Amino acid sequence: MSIFAILLGLAFGGWLMAALEGWAVHGRFSLVRPLASALALLGREAVVTRKSDRLFFETAPILLLVAGLLAAAVIPLAPGLIVADLATGALFLNAALAYVLVALIMAGWGPDGAYAMIGGWRFLGQFIGYSMLIVMPITAVAMRAQSLSTTQIVTSQAALWNVAYQPLGFALFVVAAMALAWLPPFDLPSGTGDLAGGIEAEYTGPRLAVLRLARMVVVLALAGAVSTFYLGGWLGPWLPGWAWSGGKTLAVAALMLTLGRHIPRMREARFLEFCWKAGVPLALVNIFLVGVIALVVPI
Amino acid sequence: MNALSGARQAMPGGLRGLVARAMAADLRAFVVPGLDIARAGGLDPAGAGLRLADTPRHANVLLIAGPLPPDLLKAACVVWAQMPRPRAILALGADNIAPLPAPDAIGALSQDGLAEGVATLRKAFAIGAFARNVTHFDAPALAARIEYTCPMHPEVISDEPGKCPICGMFLVEREVSGAAPAGDGDHKDHHGQGAHEHGKSAPAQAAQSDHSPHAAHGDAAVYTCPMHPEVTSDSPGSCPKCGMDLVPQDEGDAQSGHAGHSGHGGHEGHDDAQDIPGIEPHFMSMVELTEGKPASPDGLIMEWIEVPFGPFFPGLPGGLGLILTLDGDSVAEARLHGAKPIPLPSGCPVAELPERLAAAFPLTHVAMRALAHRAIAAVGGGAAAPDAAALERERIASHLNWLAGFARQMGLVRLERQGAALQRVLVGAAAADIAAAAPGLRRFLDRVRRTPLLRSKLEGLGGLTGAKGGPVARAAGTAADARAKDQAYDGLDFTPIAGGNGDALARLMQRFAEIGQSLDLIARAGTIASSRPSSPPPSTPPPRAGHGMATVETARGPATLHLTLSDGTVERAHLTTPFEDLAPLATDMVRQMELADALISIGALDLDPRRLAA
Amino acid sequence: MSVSIGQSLFLIFFGAAAVWFGVVVFRTHSMVRSAIALLFSQTAVGAMFLVMQAEFLGVLQIMMMASEMSVMAIFMVMFMMDPGGLGAMDMTHQKRLSLWAGGIGLTFALAVIWLTGWGPAAQAAPAAAEQTAALGRELLGRSMFVFESAGLTILTAMVAATMVAIAPTEEHGR
Repeated sequence: MSIFAILLGLAFGGWLMAALEGWAVHGRFSLVRPLASALALLGREAVVTRKSDRLFFETAPILLLVAGLLAAAVIPLAPGLIVADLATGALFLNAALAYVLVALIMAGWGPDGAYAMIGGWRFLGQFIGYSMLIVMPITAVAMRAQSLSTTQIVTSQAALWNVAYQPLGFALFVVAAMALAWLPPFDLPSGTGDLAGGIEAEYTGPRLAVLRLARMVVVLALAGAVSTFYLGGWLGPWLPGWAWSGGKTLAVAALMLTLGRHIPRMREARFLEFCWKAGVPLALVNIFLVGVIALVVPI
Repeated sequence: MNALSGARQAMPGGLRGLVARAMAADLRAFVVPGLDIARAGGLDPAGAGLRLADTPRHANVLLIAGPLPPDLLKAACVVWAQMPRPRAILALGADNIAPLPAPDAIGALSQDGLAEGVATLRKAFAIGAFARNVTHFDAPALAARIEYTCPMHPEVISDEPGKCPICGMFLVEREVSGAAPAGDGDHKDHHGQGAHEHGKSAPAQAAQSDHSPHAAHGDAAVYTCPMHPEVTSDSPGSCPKCGMDLVPQDEGDAQSGHAGHSGHGGHEGHDDAQDIPGIEPHFMSMVELTEGKPASPDGLIMEWIEVPFGPFFPGLPGGLGLILTLDGDSVAEARLHGAKPIPLPSGCPVAELPERLAAAFPLTHVAMRALAHRAIAAVGGGAAAPDAAALERERIASHLNWLAGFARQMGLVRLERQGAALQRVLVGAAAADIAAAAPGLRRFLDRVRRTPLLRSKLEGLGGLTGAKGGPVARAAGTAADARAKDQAYDGLDFTPIAGGNGDALARLMQRFAEIGQSLDLIARAGTIASSRPSSPPPSTPPPRAGHGMATVETARGPATLHLTLSDGTVERAHLTTPFEDLAPLATDMVRQMELADALISIGALDLDPRRLAA
Repeated sequence: MSVSIGQSLFLIFFGAAAVWFGVVVFRTHSMVRSAIALLFSQTAVGAMFLVMQAEFLGVLQIMMMASEMSVMAIFMVMFMMDPGGLGAMDMTHQKRLSLWAGGIGLTFALAVIWLTGWGPAAQAAPAAAEQTAALGRELLGRSMFVFESAGLTILTAMVAATMVAIAPTEEHGR
């Protein structure tokens, strides 16, 4: 029951977000266009490059989709409306999202194309930047909740949402999440001007459809994580819980999809520099502050 | 029922009818020769309902904007072959596109032509996306031959797989174009846009095959250039070719070689190793494998791959052929070549010259037309009609066109749209309209200057000094501007703007400053003389014989035309464009830069690769 | 602790998968495939932890290995000069030495398994949250010194490895 509800939510959210991304990229908002695009992709030829690593090429989009779905499985929409309420949910989310990297490396290596390969390895460089900024803010969140369970993390924010309790962690986590989902300005692996599609460059037809769907699921899972960890998940007055968490997730996803397009694409070396010289120390400060606050003022 | 030229083989009807209608609604265009040309031709693909694809793999419409020269047509064949079916061709203002199949829709090179073409294509897709019988597309440009070569001994080439007679290693596959003999440097034919021909398994050391693997091995006192292995010297110093510091030859070996050696010790164990099926009997030592491979200045020996960026790469000017040899993610070598020179048929009547020249340079057609008029006038000893305002209008439009492309390259899609929209407004506007649009344009430029992180991204990137003219030179502080001596600018109070340190940011700021200056110049000129062929008929009949030359400062720099006429026809025309000045500098500039930075730096140069044959 | 049939089946399945991917590491001729095979071998071990109800350890293993092996893959490509590009490459070498080392290692591991007094088996695995808390207490209590010194050693090794790799650059600069 929960599984179907979550899948339905993902499908609906993915459709809305695809329409939004179409608006951000191409300048026209249309709710029909994403459906037409998906259907059209299914009808197109699925080209396999001549000397591809077929196993990697075929596996990568599916692995990406599975990683995204597993990450979404620990995001609660409402009390009880969660696929798997694990005691280690926050860590599990990390584990699932770590395979985004594996999938992208495989997608980059698989088709035997230079653009794709460079894209895949670039994402690995980007990963070394963002990975700590995913884990360390979550640590601070778990410290306040005294649990890794995503539902308990939500209930721990009943008095004050984490976005106000640890704004530093929130900012760092959103930046890292955008880098993880290779959204602009961190879209080096698939950048237009840099790599002409990069990891997506050699995918066509249904495989491309799966790849794009999987990416949207990853974005939604990350937005769900932001809303769960920092925006109080289902907490909110008047409306039912699922409406609150769904609305928050969609709002965060919309911001993630559109915000970065006003900033020039960031090279992974510069991003790495920012992450390790500024991001990691700030994340440590965040952990320290949260620790002190948790000990001194019980909220 | 008319099938598309690139229909997909399947039974039409049923569910496929629905899919075909979805495709008709979801047209994605790959624009050749490039978006810059399309914009200069007044096209707005998004306005016509097309979405732009980054790669032919994601496109179903090949949008041809204007006539293509033969070499670009060949590259377009590769792009067409890379597009997944069902696919269609929309040719605007291009009559002959063979060897590509006949276009599914044609139109004039204008927004109306595009809109009509898109409407035709939508119908064609809905009806004929799937067909029972499809014709297979084949073109000479696609012919490729597989040959086998040894990774260690590039001189070993065989038509069949096997082992290297020198070292016994397995030969690896390599793709060569057409029937060209091995080692032919003309690679651009068979990768239009594409990556897959030159992937990781292609032994991309061809450029370095002249390197002698065992040069001076063990000789302690030999220094060599990391980039030019043929340069050797007895004393340390810098390379005469690239100025890089020379490195001791044996040191490079020690770093890569001997360190690896200890890790893979025990070679003697392999001679008697069992022949296990699926595993080579030879243990391939990385020391042996990489011996003689060129090392980058950081000392890491990696395989170098040669990647084509162009002629239709979405982040670079259309038609620009850039081949980068990548060492990891830094550029080891860059080769930049313009389009094949367009021949100007000898015996072209003088009256036709301006239009021919303008057609050959769609990005700066006003300036080229003016150049031809001036050169012809110079033959007769006269002066052409003043055209400064028209030139300045084109300069603004050209800079905005460049800005749109540069924004696309950096991922700033909104800026791309705004720049393109302003360019469309300005391209044919009258002086009064430009005056009305000027405040908005200036505000827009101020906003762009304040784009977050733009400054930090571009600062210090692609520093280039030594350019002779154009915005690139002026951004490096050289106040060279052909307009300063141009009679057309007399009375317009023109002084060149120059300054800056020559990096990508300085080039951006320089162009913005020049847009502002051009707005002022147009305001001072008051009116814009139409430079269309009909309006300024030379008051005197054109001269029939003689020699003349003229120079015009185009948006990219000075263009000079030497003209020899005889008997009312062009006997000889020699055109110098800024590309010849900038291309060699650009290849030096990007050496050892990171790939993304290198592309941005080249993008910031605003190169127009078109040339005219002498 | 009683083990259900389903649990044992899954345990056997993931164990076999771990071994099979381990074999693939050496049977493949592509370095990237080799690295990814090692990753999936380790992921299968993580899945075994999950089957054995050690949730935190399992998830941690699955998470860490994804990033570690990917980083390893790029290091292999970097230091081994893109072996994928150099065509098929044999992943086995020094076979005799490896056989001996592997044999001795296996014997040693089996000896440790058999000879250690493991204490009485627990009746049931504690709840996942309890395990996590207990693990945290252990890590920050009795085992703190061990883990901190291991962490420091790894950090030192990483810095040293990087130094070794980039030292020649300074030579070039001179």
